[in-house]
Amino acid sequence: MPIPTLTQSIVITLVQCLLVVIFVFVVVPLTVFAERKVLGYLQQRLGSTRVASGHVGITGWMNRGMWKWGRIPVLSYWRGIPGLVADVLKLILKEDIIPAKADRFVFFIAPAISMVSAVVVFAAVSFVPGVFFTFPKWFPFVGGLPVSGGIADINVGLLWILGVASVGVYGIVLAGWASNSKYPLLGGLRSAAQMVSYEVPLAISLLAPVVLSASLNFGEMSARMAVGLPFWGLVPQILGFLIYLTCGFAETNRLPFDMPEAENELVAGFHTEYSGMKFGFFYLAEYINMTVVAALASGFFLGGPWLLPFGLQGLVNPFLPAFLSWFGEPHAIFFVVKIIFLLFTYIWVRGTIPRYRYDQVMSVAWKYLIPLALFNLLLAALVRCFA
Amino acid sequence: MFKNEEMEINLGPQHPSTHGVLRVKLRLDGETITHCRPMIGYLHRGVEKICENQTFFQGQVWTDRMDYCSAVANNLGWAEANEKLFGITVPRRAQYIRTMLNEFNRLASHLIWLATHALDIGAMTVFLYAFREREDILDMNEAFCGSRLTTTAFRIGGLREDLPPGFEKLVKKFLAKFPTCLEEYENLLSENRIWKKRTIGVAKLSAEDAIALGVTGPVLRAAGVPYDIRKAFPYAAYAEMDFEVPTKTEADTYARYLVRMEEMRQSARIIQQCMDGMPEGPVMAKIPKILKAEVNEVYHATEAPKGELGYYLVGEKGSGNPYRFHVRAPGFINLQSLPKMAEGGLIADIVAAIGTLDIVLGEIDR
Repeated sequence: MPIPTLTQSIVITLVQCLLVVIFVFVVVPLTVFAERKVLGYLQQRLGSTRVASGHVGITGWMNRGMWKWGRIPVLSYWRGIPGLVADVLKLILKEDIIPAKADRFVFFIAPAISMVSAVVVFAAVSFVPGVFFTFPKWFPFVGGLPVSGGIADINVGLLWILGVASVGVYGIVLAGWASNSKYPLLGGLRSAAQMVSYEVPLAISLLAPVVLSASLNFGEMSARMAVGLPFWGLVPQILGFLIYLTCGFAETNRLPFDMPEAENELVAGFHTEYSGMKFGFFYLAEYINMTVVAALASGFFLGGPWLLPFGLQGLVNPFLPAFLSWFGEPHAIFFVVKIIFLLFTYIWVRGTIPRYRYDQVMSVAWKYLIPLALFNLLLAALVRCFA
Repeated sequence: MFKNEEMEINLGPQHPSTHGVLRVKLRLDGETITHCRPMIGYLHRGVEKICENQTFFQGQVWTDRMDYCSAVANNLGWAEANEKLFGITVPRRAQYIRTMLNEFNRLASHLIWLATHALDIGAMTVFLYAFREREDILDMNEAFCGSRLTTTAFRIGGLREDLPPGFEKLVKKFLAKFPTCLEEYENLLSENRIWKKRTIGVAKLSAEDAIALGVTGPVLRAAGVPYDIRKAFPYAAYAEMDFEVPTKTEADTYARYLVRMEEMRQSARIIQQCMDGMPEGPVMAKIPKILKAEVNEVYHATEAPKGELGYYLVGEKGSGNPYRFHVRAPGFINLQSLPKMAEGGLIADIVAAIGTLDIVLGEIDR
């Protein structure tokens, strides 16, 4: 295997970054679309079927096109998809209002903090252990070089992930404060308390996989949790998984923990005063954060890029025909499928249960989740000691 | 060094969960409400004064537009108050049909309450499930009188028309599926831990306070007072109906939820009885084309879905329109109890309190 020069490795890293960004910007709009459709079907309606109010112009063109395609039965489900394009167009074209009394610089920087901290987490997420793909020989400049499954598969990956993810709360708090308005301020205060509280059980629940796998590197952790244990990490760590998922819901401000933006109480919470693409950044950041939480959950607890749970992988492998042999190997596709399943869970929960009250949210974290997470950590340590 | 300041905040008039244009002035200590005053009047149209300048027949149209979620109940109150004023006896068949439609309307109103209340607390799916059933009721309204929301369903002296052909089938179909629908809502809410946490012990209003504030309807019954005008002072055909008045003693939001859910069951029972015992005969009494009043006054109270709906009418000799008209709107009186319910609670509780009072601003502001 040729050793890449510095320039080559920079180019390869850029390619990886591009891939991750593409992944994020494909998954996020699809999640938004899925949210509309799945929520719609949960509630016995159709979800989005067209771009709102459009017979003329771009939206009209999209509507007519999709209506034509939608005559094909399978495609009829996707009639609403131009709505995503229209949404983005709307966000970009809308007037960007900054309230007169707002702190302009902080108001400007807050959505950027949210967005950046959400995306940067992916640096330490490894989609597949080892080589993701190799550039073909004829490829200019980087031909024949391997591209690894994570951008920076660093030894302190988990620390990086937790550290960067917790910066995201600044975006929300600063947005609430800089708007200089009452509802956003309340939203910002709520999120400060909530996200700081939930950071604790979240981190503790992730310590259990660290103990079990004796590593902080994302790729290694996910490999050892998936392969080293007799099952996926899910079975011995079912408690940890549930705690993590609950905290993940809270960290991403999704129902039942969507305190900072509780629509029916605080209008729109911290982003009440935001419009245009600044609001779009918050919106994007929320969905990217969901993806991040789903990626970590699937990496640590659902066996990451490995397909089969419960130690079945070894049993099945010999019987797989040659063309299906990649079922036996870890593959990024499986990782993505698990992420998508968890994203679906988010929507499912949103359609099912009501919202906690603010003080109840806090008591859930401090009274239940933290003791449970500590107990889970103790359990993991015992398993590690004696097994 | 540190200042401790209370924050004053306006909940509304444009706010997703104030059910219209209610404005509530709040003073907050952190998230705790220390002071709460509802400000009303954003939807004031002067319905009472307008009705004083219209004939008795025309006034009915305005009652639709007070509590627009339960127009039929409003129509019933108006029609009966006028019948009392003029001493008209309504045919028995008309009474039965009125009772049935009124109960359908109670279902529709309670479904809206359930939908919006659940949405306020964050349970989004119940909202759409409840609207699905309400749609069927509105379809029945449409079949009966041509309009869905502002029905003007009844006339002074009876009904404009008999039930349309095929109406019975609609009712049967609805009654067959409605109990399962109720179960569906209850599966989503009744035993849901979050729903219970958000409603049990929230927005309490004791029986003494409720009576002192003049609160009526499910809010009063959830405090343990079994006061239902359908039983206490029967009107329409309620004297012949067999139904129970559900009460609870907890006097909190959850108790009100249970009371209203049980009321829906009882409404379905009443509808069934109306269908079974529907008498034959005319639906309209013989009344003159133009009603001229004597010097006379009536107060007629009916049990609207939200509480006691009273119409006070004063007639003037030889005049074709009321001399004075006043509405005792249940929502208006019930809203008085909002500060009592919300003060000391959290900001999320006031949303639950507004939801559980089941207010409609069209009726409060009139």
